[in-house]
Amino acid sequence: MGRRVFITGLGLIAPHGEDPESVFDRIYQGDSAVRMVRSGTVDFGSDLPLATADFTPKDRIPKTQQLFMARASQMAVVAAEGALQSSGLFGVGQEGPEDGEIGVYMGCGLGGAEILQEGYRTYFVRQSRRGRPSTVPMIMASGPASHISMRFGLHGPTHTYSIACASSTVAIGEAFRAIRDGYLDTALSGGAEAMLNDGSIAAWERLGVLASSHTDGPEASSRPFDLERTGFVLGEGAALLVLEAESALQERAVDPIAEIIGYGVSSDAFSLTEPHAAGQEAAMRSAITDADIEREEVQYVNAHATGTPSGDPIEIEAIKSIFEDHASNLAVSSTKSVHGHLVGASGALETAISAIALQKGRIPPTANLTHPDPSCDLDCVPEYGREAPELTVAISNSFAFGGSNATLVLRKV
Amino acid sequence: MRAYPYLAEVLADKYDVDEDKIRPEATLADLGLDSLMVVEFLFDVEDEFDIEVPDDRAEFETLDEAATLIDELIEAKGD
Repeated sequence: MGRRVFITGLGLIAPHGEDPESVFDRIYQGDSAVRMVRSGTVDFGSDLPLATADFTPKDRIPKTQQLFMARASQMAVVAAEGALQSSGLFGVGQEGPEDGEIGVYMGCGLGGAEILQEGYRTYFVRQSRRGRPSTVPMIMASGPASHISMRFGLHGPTHTYSIACASSTVAIGEAFRAIRDGYLDTALSGGAEAMLNDGSIAAWERLGVLASSHTDGPEASSRPFDLERTGFVLGEGAALLVLEAESALQERAVDPIAEIIGYGVSSDAFSLTEPHAAGQEAAMRSAITDADIEREEVQYVNAHATGTPSGDPIEIEAIKSIFEDHASNLAVSSTKSVHGHLVGASGALETAISAIALQKGRIPPTANLTHPDPSCDLDCVPEYGREAPELTVAISNSFAFGGSNATLVLRKV
Repeated sequence: MRAYPYLAEVLADKYDVDEDKIRPEATLADLGLDSLMVVEFLFDVEDEFDIEVPDDRAEFETLDEAATLIDELIEAKGD
């Protein structure tokens, strides 16, 4: 057994806003942040449901730094500041602690998508080879992690995991392991994703995985486990967690939000886009073993469930396979029903939601689940959140294109 | 001096340089621009005036020298 690892701070730039408490409350109420958005131009565009974040850095990042930061990096830096402040580690304008190294472990799927788009526009549309010189450092998937390190003077490892939809769950898992195993005491970990530029969206549309608007309105478009689901709603944002070793916590008065107790990963080795129950089951099993708990101790699953017709039943199958008789006791919800799919930032946002759920003893619902799919026949917490004062252990799943699966296990403090 | 007012304006507006510091004899380093910012700044200027600053001529020191160079390039372009 290694050292215990606690979540001591949260910072969000989410479709529901920036304050973690109120973001959670809206998610718990099943209040959708999905809106109909025009992507592209009037003539050459598309209207589709998206979960955008109402974000501009304003004066929270110096103007000259903003110039060289893609939207994902800007979101990451502001969310990181929120996480550091809420952990009490240090506040605005303060340098990081001089003694000890803080690591940055980030997940990001694409990087500076809108900057890449602009570069291609210059090349192909303007037929010019003279794009912005800063294009290269701005499109890197590692940009968000690098900017967090530079902005707050953090000298520990600065790692980026780019594993599609599992990116930030793996990032948090790897930070958890590094702290548990004694490689560092403190890490900022999470994810950032901002690829709601029209070029990226057009590609996603062609893949045929995005939700169309529901007859009840765009707010009802994301419908995991529901018979009327048509795909997922793309979102954007950043979610950052401060992770600390128990020993670091003892040195200052801080109330942790939750404890991370296990992490498991697996690879399907199966398909670029199709999910695979065996691989998902392996990740959950590995995480529960890593947490050194009985599977019957798990009470809540924050599912990956994105709302695609093929994906949701596979996850239910995997959950049944590992939990067997206990599966019917589980609450399994997909909060993507209200915040959409943040891809590389999704796992971090859902880990944050799971941590607050444990802290508050409240299980968030799967909103829009009005016509349950018989192939998703577990307790998927339809429509309404649930008071659960006895809630102690939760898991959060992220399953990626490419067949990478990751699960985190969290415990109430 | 066609270029100088634009250089001063973009330095103040985009690169947040204190206007009091923007003087003909100031170097970009004096004004707090690092190497990436200098490259980006030259790109701004090229884009504005539709010119190309050859690599072997981008060795100016002061803003005044930069403006003189850019004026020459504008003139050579024949606008």
